[in-house]
Amino acid sequence: MKFSIYRYNPDVDKKPYMQDYDIELHEEDHMLLDALIRIKEHDDTLSLRKSCREGVCGSDSMNINGKNGLACITKLADLEQPITLRPMPGLPVIRDLVVDMTQFFEHYNSVKPYLINNDPLPETERLQSPEDRAKLDGMYECILCGACTTSCPSFWWNPDKFVGPAGLMQANRFIMDSRDQATEERLENLEDPYRLYRCHNIMNCVEVCPKKLNPNAAIANIKDLKIERAREHKTKTKTLIEIKSV
Amino acid sequence: MRLWLSQRLSAVMMAIYIVFLIALLIIQQPSNYESWYVFVSPIWFRLVTLVFFINLFIHAWLGVSDVLKDYIFNKILRANLQIIVDILLVVYLIWVSFILWNI
Repeated sequence: MKFSIYRYNPDVDKKPYMQDYDIELHEEDHMLLDALIRIKEHDDTLSLRKSCREGVCGSDSMNINGKNGLACITKLADLEQPITLRPMPGLPVIRDLVVDMTQFFEHYNSVKPYLINNDPLPETERLQSPEDRAKLDGMYECILCGACTTSCPSFWWNPDKFVGPAGLMQANRFIMDSRDQATEERLENLEDPYRLYRCHNIMNCVEVCPKKLNPNAAIANIKDLKIERAREHKTKTKTLIEIKSV
Repeated sequence: MRLWLSQRLSAVMMAIYIVFLIALLIIQQPSNYESWYVFVSPIWFRLVTLVFFINLFIHAWLGVSDVLKDYIFNKILRANLQIIVDILLVVYLIWVSFILWNI
């Protein structure tokens, strides 16, 4: 099977180049990651991240024939040859297919991806109704592989300012959590021309998500909530003025 | 949020105008110079058309500002380009008003 793989070792190479491989695969090699491991048997200088091998850890996300995805759950049979592999776009390359995800995780961290609840800790756990729990479906499954964010042009142009689809979906995941008490603060945190509003709904994120999630819908929900909050704020102010005038 | 919402609202206003204009064209079917003159002459039509153009320019301003924010990273260059866009849109608005009020 033919491969064309992006190679770059900043210690040795002046600039990146594409290296061709023609590898004899074994019968049990079904997924792209199997093939990459096979390539590494021949050329152990090729660097890539991998861990769970079943689409759960998100380590082996890369650009496969022009589209971001996870090598471990991408079937070789579905790919056109030569299979062109590049690191995820928009992030600095550490070596070969390994990118520096610091910026990605800084954005993730900036949305405070944890429950904020100032009530005293209950003896057992904070309960949710099945309906409230269902609101988190389609968001909590995100494995933070970065495929969506690094396929988003808004992130490519403003990587330091735009939170990106993955971070914004996690912001929405906690906004929608009935146990969280920081909705107001979370919405305010995204009130900036860049952090949220660089999303222009081109939906690359939806197209590439290996977990079939919809970050675009989550972003739209945040925008809707912000309008709702502004409307509520206006009504409150109006009521206050009326009370004062009485 | 206000900018984002204004972009949506101006788009809705333009869509309403376009539907209204198409409906009016189907009903009145102006075919020659005189009938077109009658079609565009009423003050209310000119006012509604002016509102459409104001929305169009607001929409364009927001859209171009977005493009500049996305692609132009040099703040001075971006501010200058923004001024050019602002001036152009104001000139267009004056021009449109002039055309509409000289029918």
